Amino acid sequence: MAKPAVILVGADKGGVGKTTVSRTLLDYFSAHHIPTRAFDTEAPRGTLKRFHPGVTEIVDVTQIADQMKIFDTLGSADAKVTVIDVRAGLLSPTLQALNDIGFIDSAKKGQITFAVFHILGPSIASLEEISQTAEFVGDASYFLVKNHINETSFFDWDPATYNSYFNQIKGAQDLTIPKLNEMATEQVEVASVPYVQFVANKNAKGEAANFSFVLRGYVRHWLGQVWGEFDRVKLNELVASKSESNVRQAAS
Amino acid sequence: MSFHNSVIIVASPRPRVGKTLLARLLVDYYTQEQRQVRAFDLSNGEGSLADFLPQQVTVSAIDGVSGQMALFDLLVTADEIVKIVDVGHESYESFFTVAHRIGFADEARKRGIAPVILFMISPDRAAADAYRGMNARFRRATLSPVHNEMLGPNQLRDRFPPAGLGAALLRMPALAPGLRKYVETPPFSFADTQLANAKHIPLDVHIELQRWLRKMHLEFRELDLRVLLADLQASIRL
Repeated sequence: MAKPAVILVGADKGGVGKTTVSRTLLDYFSAHHIPTRAFDTEAPRGTLKRFHPGVTEIVDVTQIADQMKIFDTLGSADAKVTVIDVRAGLLSPTLQALNDIGFIDSAKKGQITFAVFHILGPSIASLEEISQTAEFVGDASYFLVKNHINETSFFDWDPATYNSYFNQIKGAQDLTIPKLNEMATEQVEVASVPYVQFVANKNAKGEAANFSFVLRGYVRHWLGQVWGEFDRVKLNELVASKSESNVRQAAS
Repeated sequence: MSFHNSVIIVASPRPRVGKTLLARLLVDYYTQEQRQVRAFDLSNGEGSLADFLPQQVTVSAIDGVSGQMALFDLLVTADEIVKIVDVGHESYESFFTVAHRIGFADEARKRGIAPVILFMISPDRAAADAYRGMNARFRRATLSPVHNEMLGPNQLRDRFPPAGLGAALLRMPALAPGLRKYVETPPFSFADTQLANAKHIPLDVHIELQRWLRKMHLEFRELDLRVLLADLQASIRL
């Protein structure tokens, strides 16, 4: 049996697009036919659950009962991959909790695949988060995500400064999420469906919808770019031994 | 499929190669054929498509997403209306960048619409490069080069190979100098049923115009049939 994989998506800063990245991850694994479940830590009301209600559960990751719900079921759940969308400000505390319960050690021993998607904001404070999280991640696959969805400019960073933080984590890789057109973003928000479903012109009930072909085209193009980044870092290979080819067709 | 449900895009990255004249001819041809036609004008300046056909032409702008939605969402609607798009040289890059990005040709095929690109060829290198790029980006469209004989003899065949279902070189015969002053003055219409009785057009000019129009219409019919035949062949193979 393949070992379970846990992907933590977080940042200590709010509004940097954590849930957007989580949504693209769920779409990506779904297109690769990799059974996935998600936990939305924005208790009591979760944004991720609104878009992926079928696979998402809202939890309070600071509560032991909910930690048990997530981590005690890793081996028994049907889903091979667990995506945890960590609420703003909770990335470091969550990693601390994972360390305390021995999860990080299990990942080091190779019993669990563990990956962290650290969504960066444009400020130096965001870079300082890297050093705070670095001490916990150990051998996890660590991805620093520059998310341009909020028109963030990362060019203000001095490359030497960025690299000094980046190099603190062995094997860290960076990912770039391009900007999605505002009107397309807004329409997907209104539709409250996964990106893939919007592209396929289906509403939340799975029935034929009447979304703009132009906006669907923009979302398809953008999602292809995001998935291209996931492919580049071999995300499907990280969580699954077998990958489907040509999955981007699922978005067409 | 065929031209009953088709989008015909007339384009070139160069100005003054006969795009708007060809677009006008197409609109008037389909009007005479009793088909419903709608045209979209993406060009600026005098003598634009909208100047000649104000009733049938929508002036489009695709700088913003709203304008793109207004245009492309209509183009991919299978409503049995022939749609003609006159892409001016200023809009060439932005139009085809958006069309490629949103997967226009694939979506059109999926909905049973024939996407046809009529590319006005010219001897400059920019046109050849643009054509090559078009060929690579729109493999599911019918890409037909158009040789406007007004621009000189066609010695460029190798640089503009037809591509896609039913594509072939379309010839646009040179317009006699005597005709141009009538044809290029709005609101001249090739579909005007009263053209034969127009007192300001001399009889010899009128005869020449009819001869020229017959040649153009023959080209359009052949292209229409080629697209239809290629489509039938493709569906039989499926």
